[in-house]
Amino acid sequence: MKRNPNRRELLRGGAGLAVGLGLAGCGAGNSSSGTKEQTEKLIKKKIDGDLVYFNYAEYIDPALVKKFEKLHGIKVRESYFDSMSAMMAKLRAGIAYDLIFPSGEYVQRLISGNLLRKIDRDKLKNVDAVYPQFADPWYDKNSEHTTPYGMYATGLGYRADKVEMTGSWRDLGEVDTEDRSFLLDDFQEGIGMANLVNGYPLNETDEAKLEKSQQYLVDLKPNLRGISTDTITNMTSGNAWIQHLWNGDIVNIRNQVDNPEDFKFQKNTEGIPVGSDNFAIPVNSKHPGTALVFMEFMLDPENAAQNVEWIGYPMPYDGGPTEAFQGLVKDDPEINVTVDDLENGQQFENLKGDGRLAWDKVWTEFRVS
Amino acid sequence: MNENRFASAFLVPSGLWLLLLFVVPLGFLLAISFGYTDDLGEAIYGWNPENYSRVFDADLLPVLVRSVGFALATVVLCLLIGYPVAYYIAIFGGRWKNVLLALVVLPFFVNYLVRTYAWIAMLGDDGLANGVLGGDIRFLNTPYAVIGGLVYGFLAFMILPIYASLDRMDPSLIEAGKDLYGGPWQTFRNVTWPHTMQGVLAGSVLVFLPAVGDFVSASLLGGPDEVMVGNLIQQQFQASDNWPFGAALTVVMMAFLMIWMVLYLRSAAREARGPA
Repeated sequence: MKRNPNRRELLRGGAGLAVGLGLAGCGAGNSSSGTKEQTEKLIKKKIDGDLVYFNYAEYIDPALVKKFEKLHGIKVRESYFDSMSAMMAKLRAGIAYDLIFPSGEYVQRLISGNLLRKIDRDKLKNVDAVYPQFADPWYDKNSEHTTPYGMYATGLGYRADKVEMTGSWRDLGEVDTEDRSFLLDDFQEGIGMANLVNGYPLNETDEAKLEKSQQYLVDLKPNLRGISTDTITNMTSGNAWIQHLWNGDIVNIRNQVDNPEDFKFQKNTEGIPVGSDNFAIPVNSKHPGTALVFMEFMLDPENAAQNVEWIGYPMPYDGGPTEAFQGLVKDDPEINVTVDDLENGQQFENLKGDGRLAWDKVWTEFRVS
Repeated sequence: MNENRFASAFLVPSGLWLLLLFVVPLGFLLAISFGYTDDLGEAIYGWNPENYSRVFDADLLPVLVRSVGFALATVVLCLLIGYPVAYYIAIFGGRWKNVLLALVVLPFFVNYLVRTYAWIAMLGDDGLANGVLGGDIRFLNTPYAVIGGLVYGFLAFMILPIYASLDRMDPSLIEAGKDLYGGPWQTFRNVTWPHTMQGVLAGSVLVFLPAVGDFVSASLLGGPDEVMVGNLIQQQFQASDNWPFGAALTVVMMAFLMIWMVLYLRSAAREARGPA
């Protein structure tokens, strides 16, 4: 059975607790970095205890977790985060996990803090099936620390039975939905979209240009019914006819409604934000061997194919997993993230210093406006 | 003297509690509100008062006023709904009192967030309410939905203290009021209401404070114009990785609320002393 909520969101409220823990653990101030030596210690690909794993809730097929437990006679102890920030807060508080699922941006941050163990990638069975685009990704040189997990693209979900779309991001504000248009409540996706509409690069930080993007968002606001991350609820409840969302959300929406053929995904002509989550092993992992075995377990084409169907997001592995996702979205192939999208799409980068503050300011002022 | 020492020993647990869970975290909050963020999004202690100038640059007043307005509306509605409920349970509950109280508390066994999600399903355009009413009513993404979510979320905080004060009241006082030829309304106004004032005040504060800082209701049930200060703060901690700015926002909100609370408590105290 497939049922799972939006991969990024759902229980944000619970994350307040995680932040509290982070503060209590005094995340701030003491730069909680590892050392270079810690990252380089070779991991033996051998079961060395239970797996303590840290992921978004409902972002892996539980049947696979059970299978792994049975196969090796160990327990997988699962805990969940609801945002990348919350994940970082827990890691900084010094809690030890064996396997985490960071996005590209956060992989880059973790590596620069010496917080991820290197892996001997060539020793992993089936690693050759990973798309070549992930052999040397921008966030992890030569992919020394990670293997990729779910891939996502951001676009507009829409009700084909209610609205006519034109293929542009502008549809969100300009197509008449009788006040049923929703923007994602995500400062990156929101500002990134405005940048793309204005013809700027996704990660633009120039102040004058950002001001134009902010203006676009402010002008968009009267045409919005809501700014929300509850994309699945919004669409399944009929509240949204056009919803800014991640491609996998549409798969999950289609699994929950009686008329799946009416729920479609549009990749917009001005550009597509794309990205992937990853498997990685933190330096303070107590069972890195088991974690590595698990990474290999998920590279297995049969397991990956099964997982793709459950989570509703494609994984960048050739063969079975790719075909499984194509089968899943054969009614609306737009939902897939293709090799083309990976090459032409743009990925959110870690903005530094003033750029980061500028983005934060734009979003705060937009929300307050 | 001995008795005094005995009494002060009782203050130790609560004093420690306050110190560890209130004073120390508040100190951290204040310290970090003057910090800055490194390129990895990690908060670093330092001297960066710019966080505060950013708070005042952002033109927050409308958001603060909105948050207080929503919270006050929530208090009034909770009082209008909660007082009769508490009254009924305390006066007419009889041997069912405890069962009825348990029923009031029961929904709180479910997480507030999950309960708020349930409202989306019920109030959606194709949801249960519209189905039953056969209408096409836009409940969600309105200020009313946000206030409704807050009332639903915090109602029990109003009912319980009012119930406690009603339960403490000697019922023969009501009889006495009637014996003195007071009608039901007069008896309530002159006898019951003054006796339960403490409970009403306590309930109002218990509802107001979580409501004013809430972000769940506005984020799930509100529209683009219903943003509350809690949403802005949550954004800094959960998404933008800018804890210092989030902390500065929190400090400003606390100061703003403190002013209100002091004014309110002073006027309440003056009222309690009476015109005499």
